[in-house]
Amino acid sequence: MEHNKRVYSVLVFLTALWCFGILLAPALHASHPAAASIVYSAYSPVCHQVDGRCFHLFEAKWGVCIRCSAIYFSFFLSLLSYPMFHRLSSPSWPGRWWIALAMAPMTIDVLLNLAGIHHSSALTRMITGVLFGSVLPLYIVPPLLEGVTQLRSQFLARGGLFYARKAQ
Amino acid sequence: MLEKPNKLRISLICGIAIGAVSAIPGISLINCCCCAGVWMGGVLAMYLYRQQFTEGMPPLESSDALMLGLMSGVIGAFTATVLNVLILTVIGPVEQELVKSIVGRLLDRLVEQGGLQSDMADTMKEQFEQSIRDAGKLSNIFWSLFMALILYPIFSILGALLGFAIFRPKNPPPTTMVQ
Repeated sequence: MEHNKRVYSVLVFLTALWCFGILLAPALHASHPAAASIVYSAYSPVCHQVDGRCFHLFEAKWGVCIRCSAIYFSFFLSLLSYPMFHRLSSPSWPGRWWIALAMAPMTIDVLLNLAGIHHSSALTRMITGVLFGSVLPLYIVPPLLEGVTQLRSQFLARGGLFYARKAQ
Repeated sequence: MLEKPNKLRISLICGIAIGAVSAIPGISLINCCCCAGVWMGGVLAMYLYRQQFTEGMPPLESSDALMLGLMSGVIGAFTATVLNVLILTVIGPVEQELVKSIVGRLLDRLVEQGGLQSDMADTMKEQFEQSIRDAGKLSNIFWSLFMALILYPIFSILGALLGFAIFRPKNPPPTTMVQ
């Protein structure tokens, strides 16, 4: 369906923009520090941005931490590969429990680290983040495509009613 | 046929919950994990909305999740800003102090382990000091509101869509497709 493809393309574009911003902050850090600080502050409500827990590019930290980067970039890659495995015209709905399974390792990693039982490393943060982020599009894309289609139908129906009343 | 339940009431409840979670010092740190507090607000909105449905009502749809997420996110952004200003006025920049102390300890640990140079740690501590000094500035409050009005609806919609995928009816009606 053409309309679903358009919605999907917008979602891919917005996700790419979000991921690009994460890399833009360190890229601007040396040459345009003021612009970099605006980009960093844009991401600050969604991440602690602690230097020791971030990947680095050009000796400056990324816009978000390793775990968040893993989630966002794997979300983006999973979103890009979505049409290869699912039809956009009639997206399939995943089982309800896969998301809990995908989230469990990350939750365990965070909780055990907070309790001081296990020290989460960059590798555990990255693996658990990738696991969660790559499953997420399976749960986001079908309701988003369906929801936008429904909203569009509702608006078109209302618009049709409006013009019908006006014609009378 | 009965009408669907009112979305505004659920959005208000969840928007206020999102705002409270995002503004209360300590609890607000949950948003440091990909805006988890806002996501959960979206999921909660979907769960509560689903509970309002009775027999004879039209079925729950994905578009309901989109609208609920959007409304909750916008209300949450305004609530968080208002609560932040109230907390700043009444008890000062508690959240920034809290983050500073946690990050300060983390940085010290990293310096001890050799993972970070001490001058870099000092620079970061200075940045936190600066953020505490800037916390009450009007421009900062408007910047926070602006960012919240972009980020909260996005993450709240994602949460509501996730909630819909989890709590959706077992036999959903066929979707009306528009060419």
